[in-house]
Amino acid sequence: MTEHTQNRHPCLPGGLIPLDQWRVPETSVRRTLRSALRDILDQLKAGIHPDDQAFKSLDDLPALSEYQLSRYAPVPDGKVFGRELVSQLESLDKNGGQSRRCRVLVAPPYSGVAEALRCSGKRVIVPPENLLMTESEIVAWWDDQLGEAGWVIPELADFWIRHRLGLGLVRELLARVAMDQVGEGIVGCSSWCWHFWGQFLPDLYLAPLTPGPLTADRLSLWLEHLAGDPPAGKLVARMTRDGSYVLPAPSGEEGDRKYSEFARDLATLSRGNPGVALAIWRRTLRARPEEDADKKDDGTPVPVGRQCWVAPLDQLSLPAVPQSSTSQSGHIIHALLLHNGLTAGQLALAAGLSGQALRVALARLQRADVVVVGEDGVYQVSPLAYPGVRRYLQSKGYPVDGF
Amino acid sequence: MGDFGIKDALSSITSQALLEALAVIIAASLVILLVQKLLPVLAAKLSGKPRLYLLASVPLVRLLVIVLTIIVVIPILVEPSFENMVAVFGALALALGFAFKDYANSLIAGIVTLYEMPYRPGDWIEVNGRYGEVRAIGTRAAEIVTLDDTVIVIPHSLLWNTLLANGNDGTDNLMCVAEVFLEPNHNVDRMLGLFRDAVFTCPLTKTYQPVVVTVSALEAGMRYRLKAYPLAPREQSRFISELTASASEICGEEGVRMVSNPYLGA
Repeated sequence: MTEHTQNRHPCLPGGLIPLDQWRVPETSVRRTLRSALRDILDQLKAGIHPDDQAFKSLDDLPALSEYQLSRYAPVPDGKVFGRELVSQLESLDKNGGQSRRCRVLVAPPYSGVAEALRCSGKRVIVPPENLLMTESEIVAWWDDQLGEAGWVIPELADFWIRHRLGLGLVRELLARVAMDQVGEGIVGCSSWCWHFWGQFLPDLYLAPLTPGPLTADRLSLWLEHLAGDPPAGKLVARMTRDGSYVLPAPSGEEGDRKYSEFARDLATLSRGNPGVALAIWRRTLRARPEEDADKKDDGTPVPVGRQCWVAPLDQLSLPAVPQSSTSQSGHIIHALLLHNGLTAGQLALAAGLSGQALRVALARLQRADVVVVGEDGVYQVSPLAYPGVRRYLQSKGYPVDGF
Repeated sequence: MGDFGIKDALSSITSQALLEALAVIIAASLVILLVQKLLPVLAAKLSGKPRLYLLASVPLVRLLVIVLTIIVVIPILVEPSFENMVAVFGALALALGFAFKDYANSLIAGIVTLYEMPYRPGDWIEVNGRYGEVRAIGTRAAEIVTLDDTVIVIPHSLLWNTLLANGNDGTDNLMCVAEVFLEPNHNVDRMLGLFRDAVFTCPLTKTYQPVVVTVSALEAGMRYRLKAYPLAPREQSRFISELTASASEICGEEGVRMVSNPYLGA
């Protein structure tokens, strides 16, 4: 019996692993210390430079155009990812790694699992309009939804609200899953939501699976896979600082080609989270090489195919949560992460705020590029701000996920 | 030997040596003042463990500066021979023993405080019925600030013979308890579950710390205690208020009446 998958598609380079086997990508002691020191300095500096909030690049090289970004670092294809997830789950079932008919997939925000499950071809269960149902209504609703096997819940966080009256739907579902009283199905769940429910129902053992973390090697392979391999050849990405290579991913046959530590640093900064890594990666890509970086001996430029340049991570300033003497910002971003995005009305309920205070705090977080609002009116924490947001919440004592 | 040789030891002090010693003492005082003012300001900008460590370093740094000042000043004033040292410290011991006994008692307790750390800046302590956050630890006394923003000065000498309760003991985990008293004859299991839901969904709750709801039957009614940890000790008043308000709402929805003055029947 095995509990992790062997054959790995580049869209899921870490495969599926049991949740308790997930580890943060390794980093050096020096980088850990530097990061901790920078975090403390950022807190001390807060208020000294009040305008220094939003993202900015500290280099003056032009960023890639939207067209180039869509070619070099596109958003992953949910259908391919969804098919791969289902295929890997089926492969686990064949190998006898399945003890329940329902599988639980836990993944950090922006991992793309929810979108992939929506495109998996299975019957998608959507949450009801009213999340504050009575106990009898909840039982009837689940009886109705789970009657037919082959269902999928892309995001469990959509089925509850952090309010004492908003816990019933998930409590009932998880109890049924634990007792194996649901048909064959897949439950996707964000890591923050799962963390809450793991503490709320500590005796629940559902053996969740999660995509393996993107270590430096896997991250290089994944970014290379995203860029594709058209007739023009693989994407070549080199550091603007010293010309060392980031892509193509090291294959062991690159001779004396010098590789940068960028992939390792990016894997560490993003904590192996593909969505965060991709958002930062897109921000670091540059169109113009440093002068004379790539010329022949006679000074003529080397003809390039698909080539771009990568700004070092220390030249990027990622969005940070604006300092405040109140805890409103913390409550808002914590509620947004718990629920993987909320409308203003839901946010008021989950964060215990309402009216003007909520609108003012949201506007401030939006100005700082920490929170973004979609066309559907759903507020979310921006993936670029996520590393800083997670550190902020941790430093303020909020419960944070294990990812 | 009637003066223990103190006269000989002090006879070599010149006015220049006095000025030098004074300069060193003033410089040390300024450093202490700076540390006492600056570090708490910096600590206020931090949260979690860095804040507590920075606050706890204030009395230690001050002690270090005082010891260094004594080591530097004495050789400036007197020749550091064995006889002179015996004379100076002997005179100092006599003065402390008779004239400043209580003060010395507090000073020594203050040093023990730094070593045993029964309380540190940032701790929430209760001494003789007074509850508050330790704001500063001085040489003789500690200052606590109550929830009503009143400063109370507690001499360290109380440490020898007074019971001291420390709520968070150098961490930022402080258990808070919200109490409600309900009339009996209701579904206790249901109320326990509803109160637990309310604690877990409060945005101020550290859900990774234990959340416990207990009930006990008293003469005046059923006493429910909602115990949990707020995100930060400083949020305790708000946290208890929110839990009490939620509990009150639940009682209203469930039709269970609260006892307005439980101690009347006690």
